[in-house]
Amino acid sequence: MSDATRLTPAQILASYDGRPLRIMEVCGTHTHEIFRLGIRKMFPAQVELISGPGCPVCVTPVGFIDEAIWLAEHGATITTFGDLVRVPGTSGSLATARAAGARVQVVYSPLDAVDYAREHTDEQVVFLSVGFETTVPASCLAAKQALDEGLTNFSLLTANKTMPNAYAALRDSADVFLYPGHVHAIIGTALCEDLVAQGVSGVLAGFTAKELVTALAVAVAKGATGEPFFVNAYPRVVRPEGTPQAVALIDELMEPCDTEWRGLGVIPQSGLKLRDKFAAVDARRVFNMPAIEGRANPACRCGEILRGSCKPSDCPLFGRVCTPQHPVGACMVSGEGACSAYYQYGGDML
Amino acid sequence: MSAAEKVTLAMGAGGKQTSELIERVFAQRFASPLLTADDAAVLDAPHGKMAMSTDGFIVSPSFFAGGNIGKLSICGTVNDLACMGARPLYLTCAFVIEEGYPLDKLEQIADAMAATAAEVGVTLVAGDTKVAGRGQVDGVFITTTGVGELVEGAAPEGSKAAPGDAIIVTGDVGRHGCTILLERDDFGIEADVTSDCAPLWASVEAMFDVTHDVHVIRDATRGGVGTVLYEIAGQSDVGVVLDAAAIPVDPAVGGVCRMLGLEPLYLACEGRLVIIAPKDVAPAIVEALRACPYSAGAAIIGEVTAERPGWVVLNTEIGTQTLLPQPTGELLPRIC
Repeated sequence: MSDATRLTPAQILASYDGRPLRIMEVCGTHTHEIFRLGIRKMFPAQVELISGPGCPVCVTPVGFIDEAIWLAEHGATITTFGDLVRVPGTSGSLATARAAGARVQVVYSPLDAVDYAREHTDEQVVFLSVGFETTVPASCLAAKQALDEGLTNFSLLTANKTMPNAYAALRDSADVFLYPGHVHAIIGTALCEDLVAQGVSGVLAGFTAKELVTALAVAVAKGATGEPFFVNAYPRVVRPEGTPQAVALIDELMEPCDTEWRGLGVIPQSGLKLRDKFAAVDARRVFNMPAIEGRANPACRCGEILRGSCKPSDCPLFGRVCTPQHPVGACMVSGEGACSAYYQYGGDML
Repeated sequence: MSAAEKVTLAMGAGGKQTSELIERVFAQRFASPLLTADDAAVLDAPHGKMAMSTDGFIVSPSFFAGGNIGKLSICGTVNDLACMGARPLYLTCAFVIEEGYPLDKLEQIADAMAATAAEVGVTLVAGDTKVAGRGQVDGVFITTTGVGELVEGAAPEGSKAAPGDAIIVTGDVGRHGCTILLERDDFGIEADVTSDCAPLWASVEAMFDVTHDVHVIRDATRGGVGTVLYEIAGQSDVGVVLDAAAIPVDPAVGGVCRMLGLEPLYLACEGRLVIIAPKDVAPAIVEALRACPYSAGAAIIGEVTAERPGWVVLNTEIGTQTLLPQPTGELLPRIC
């Protein structure tokens, strides 16, 4: 056994002396855990950890918030995960809309939104369906349940995203991707294998300290060679075939569409929309909503932060006018956003 | 008294029915020579300096695993006095009860208050009962006010933490907040978690039997241990460094927190103190605390530093240092 194989993952990180490496985590929970555990300080200077577009709230474009506010102003009751309530739209947020009289209910699951619809048949209830392959199945289940029960007052406003084409769009932003464990628990690992053939490297990572540090050690050890690779460092949860039932459920209700990612622009076929057959639970069609285009605060640099081309502290708003208490950009709203994590954990103070 | 009996508006109107309510629910349970039947209690003054504190309790739900609002209302004020180094002597209590509240539940609340007060050795000397119309108050709200006698030679204050001091907690953190969160069942999570709600005077007294050289005592209620440490770091203009692995967290509380992305240091406790004392006396303090039933899990979790005044830093399980995010306010409303 050579000396190198006896190093602990932490020692592998600390002793890395190879080529400069950019490692991008593509999961908001990874971002948060990396900050919470102080993992960035385990690396030498030539390894850069970049927080990619993996927080569902952060990649949701301004226009989606505007759409939700439009619906609320046109009589809908908005049901949503709490994070989205404070995300600024072009002018105002769902929180300010609520203060002005709109009905906005925070729920902890899409099925809670169906419960609400059942108990409030005089209201048109819209659930804001954001997030990746991990959360889409729950939205689909909610829509199916509402239809099965014959509820005519429940629909989804979708802004769901899928990872495959996002990786392709981001391929030049990083040398190694830290793939999101829970997304691939749904879709499996075939995509990661395919990406190797296209020259994209990545490690599938879990969420405990040990799992994260191990995955990062694999990323630097393998990344040093420059050869494309893929390693599943989260095999206790991610099986190569994923969760076929969940994939089938998504496919039954939804189909791919072009979609806008905050900061990344429109990525072809990287979103999901409800199939025509399910128009009855598609809020855009139920409310005959016009096309709405949002406008972000021009000083906010969330877009560049999501692409990894600048750090939160490079943004002129960061920590001054944009704080978790008064967020300007989406990355400061969610606990999983890069700006919020950077701010909460003191940035480069330690 | 049958379970169907309810509190009525007339019971709060000051007439005969009010007297009956007080007689049936409170007077016997709180009976003592000091309990006034007049407009105010007449008491012997403490020997030395006295401490006085008041607190309102509006916890929802009012019954939870490990206690109820009655027990909480005694513990809260007793613990506030204990944090100043004061032996609790007298308490008053004021109830605001919603019309229609079940009398048997009110009796259970009064039972818990009487039992907790007796355990501490504090005397309920005066009370007040009001009834508000349905919907004007949620169930029952209680305010308690307490008077205590300062232990001579002990003068803990939030501004006295000094570099080199050890930081002690008297048990595992975050249990009360986690209990309330689970009781409300917003998340569909089931876990075996019981509130830490407990009166802590006996623990403080045991500590003072060992040493009076205690710089700070705080009870970590709303905002939890993390908020208290940030307050002390600010008041004393010192830094705090915690050893994450040394912070006691009940496994079930830890599991719930991981699931919901919560930090146990920011969940409320109702029976935990943060104690800051010179490092050389800290082991003896911990030993004395561990001999008391409500502080059997006491542990040293970190130390006070001169570096990074105003900040709380964690030495993590993987050997790195990270900042404890600053408190953002209570995660849940109506926790106590």
